[in-house]
Amino acid sequence: MRNLGAKAFAIGAGGIVPIGLLLCLEVAARSKLVDPTFLPPPSAILATVWGIIVSGKFAAPLAQTILFLFTGYGIGCAAAIALGILMGYSRVIYNLFEPLTELLRPLPKAALLPVLILFLGLGAKMEITIVALGCFFPVLINTLQGVRAVEPTMINTARTFGHGTFAIWRRILVPASAPYILAGMRISLGLGLILVVTAEMIAGTGGLGDAILSAQRTFLVKESYAWLVVLAVLGLLLTALFSWLERKIAFWNAPSVG
Amino acid sequence: MTLAAARSTKAGAAPPAAGGRLRVEGIAKSFLGPTGGAIAAIDAVSLDVAPGEFLAIVGPSGCGKSTLLQVIAGLMPPSGGTVRLGDRDVTGEPAHMVYLFQQYSRSLLPWMTVADNVMFAFRHRIKLRRAAAVARCRDYLAMVGLADVADHYPWQLSGGMQQRVAIARALAAEPQVLLMDEPFSSVDALTRLDLHSLILELWTQKRFTAVLVTHDVDEAIFLADRVAVLTQRPATVTEVIETRLPRPRQSIETRESAAFLALRHRLLSYLLSRGGDTPHA
Repeated sequence: MRNLGAKAFAIGAGGIVPIGLLLCLEVAARSKLVDPTFLPPPSAILATVWGIIVSGKFAAPLAQTILFLFTGYGIGCAAAIALGILMGYSRVIYNLFEPLTELLRPLPKAALLPVLILFLGLGAKMEITIVALGCFFPVLINTLQGVRAVEPTMINTARTFGHGTFAIWRRILVPASAPYILAGMRISLGLGLILVVTAEMIAGTGGLGDAILSAQRTFLVKESYAWLVVLAVLGLLLTALFSWLERKIAFWNAPSVG
Repeated sequence: MTLAAARSTKAGAAPPAAGGRLRVEGIAKSFLGPTGGAIAAIDAVSLDVAPGEFLAIVGPSGCGKSTLLQVIAGLMPPSGGTVRLGDRDVTGEPAHMVYLFQQYSRSLLPWMTVADNVMFAFRHRIKLRRAAAVARCRDYLAMVGLADVADHYPWQLSGGMQQRVAIARALAAEPQVLLMDEPFSSVDALTRLDLHSLILELWTQKRFTAVLVTHDVDEAIFLADRVAVLTQRPATVTEVIETRLPRPRQSIETRESAAFLALRHRLLSYLLSRGGDTPHA
């Protein structure tokens, strides 16, 4: 019971800072300490969020952002896991791809947007591509390290029981590196969200990023903030969903940090 | 090629009633050293193990005992020499030899339940419906006294229990030869004595050929019919001693018998005199 109380207190304490901050903003905006044109009171923003929700206006940009994010994320992760496993497993493949990945990996992916727009235009193809590119590298590096970190004893266990190469891949290498792969995918999910919103802002063809920027440009400041709230909630939900998934899949692993 | 070899021998799931002799002939193994030169780990080791025999190999730590065992198990190719089981050359992982690892925590797969870990030993060789396979796992787990933890995960068990699971899993593959790489060295002293009795009981029951590698002289004498002594690197067999202690062996009495202590004295003097020049604990 004491534990429960401590937990409730911890959660409550964590809530104090954001709620306090919102109250400060509310007071600051209402007392005109800050210009409410640029920073409307949180209550007004919440009302606008409510408006967006009940009118159903939120659905299309949110759906598009989620769709492009997940498509790019899926493609990027799948490609990275496949190449990462191969690179972790084979020295030759590693040597073949390592220089290229080391060259591209540190590059901020958002810097590729202008070039991608030249090739793919504004819209779905470009947005999905930039997300896929951004998600690719963290997953690749983690998968590679995960495969390398597989205990030789585990592989030898499979061998001593006469399991063939395919079974060793399926039953040892992939599950053993899953916690690493998931850690990479967690980083990539955050990156993917950044990139999809950035790309949407540049493309201006729908999505939450476009909604935020368009509202700001047309002086619908409250609406711009409202879209930010929607985006924040999306980020929060994605993180929670991913943590749940990670616990489900890599349940044997100690909970990862970050 | 090694995998193909393993495939070709695994067709008949049940081992022949009389297991073959295990002959290790002139096995040598060297590794590439840091400067590029070859470092000899094992030098011309020969052993002949009768079907159903319990052979222990003792040697100072770092002498290449595990390397020798891995070569015998087909997990590592030798630099020279041959391993034969019955009338077959061992290349690649032979279907009828199972290797029991020292590090049970790394050998048991953490994403599989205890039952699934046991099933991992035979599922690709013996096709059973799920229910029958689970029942078979439970039988083997019951043998090591752990039928009730089939649905647990290995990391939920104590070290001693984990090694019991590993033993059950090894036996579920129905090996003719069980190769044990210091399997009792990572558990506490009392659990170790317990596992000694268990492995002897199972060995009596199943009559597999047992080859145990250990640095624990007492363990070697208590368990084995014969004890082979390895030297420091490059390892060679200098002595093979028959224990001739009566069976069944008793946890306490056997270890206190005059014959046991005499063997212990003899083996320790071999090991301490030969390994004396290298103070390598």
